Amino acid sequence: MRRYETIFIIRPSAGEEEINKIIENTRQIILDEKGSIIELNKWGIKKLAYLIKKESLGYYVFCDFAGTPAAVAEIERKFRIDDLVLKYLTIKTADSIKEEEIEQAVLAAEQRMTIPSDNQDTDSVNDDSVELEAEETDEE
Amino acid sequence: MAQRPQKKLFTRKKTCRFCGDKESVINYKDVKTLRNYISERGKIIPRRIIGTCAMHQRQLCEAIKQARQIAFLPYSGPSQG
Repeated sequence: MRRYETIFIIRPSAGEEEINKIIENTRQIILDEKGSIIELNKWGIKKLAYLIKKESLGYYVFCDFAGTPAAVAEIERKFRIDDLVLKYLTIKTADSIKEEEIEQAVLAAEQRMTIPSDNQDTDSVNDDSVELEAEETDEE
Repeated sequence: MAQRPQKKLFTRKKTCRFCGDKESVINYKDVKTLRNYISERGKIIPRRIIGTCAMHQRQLCEAIKQARQIAFLPYSGPSQG
């Protein structure tokens, strides 16, 4: 078992039902290959950094799972066929994951869901300081 | 012969932010942090300017490229809006 993270973008014009269908299909593929889902999160509609298939918005879905390479290949094949999926990205986060680790990760994911972290203010302060420093050094 | 203009007196030592703050992990989903390391045009800012260490710059580079693939960051153009 390997641990993967998949993010895929669905066309924003897709209805709730169609989105759920895509997610359900993905989940089914993972479970068929004896994998397990750690976290499945709908991020909702976000602005894209650039146009994809002439769309400027996209519905993001994030899925963290333990599975086999075959499952990933199948999921990606399905995404390529589906016109509603604008783009997808799968990243391997761990080469091997044991049963206990999966359970721990599931618990951690659930905890994160219940207590959403909120540190936006501190982040924006950091933004400014880095930009200033970059400008200073440019002048040299 | 005129004296050459003195070199700038103060050059603040650039330090790697990720080495200083051990808790921060570079992740392609953390767009807010990555935004600090790309220029207005969306280019990755070189190490000699921003001062990250080689190891973290490599990780940063990878993360930015991954974020670009999934449209969190632009390949080119303004990073905001």
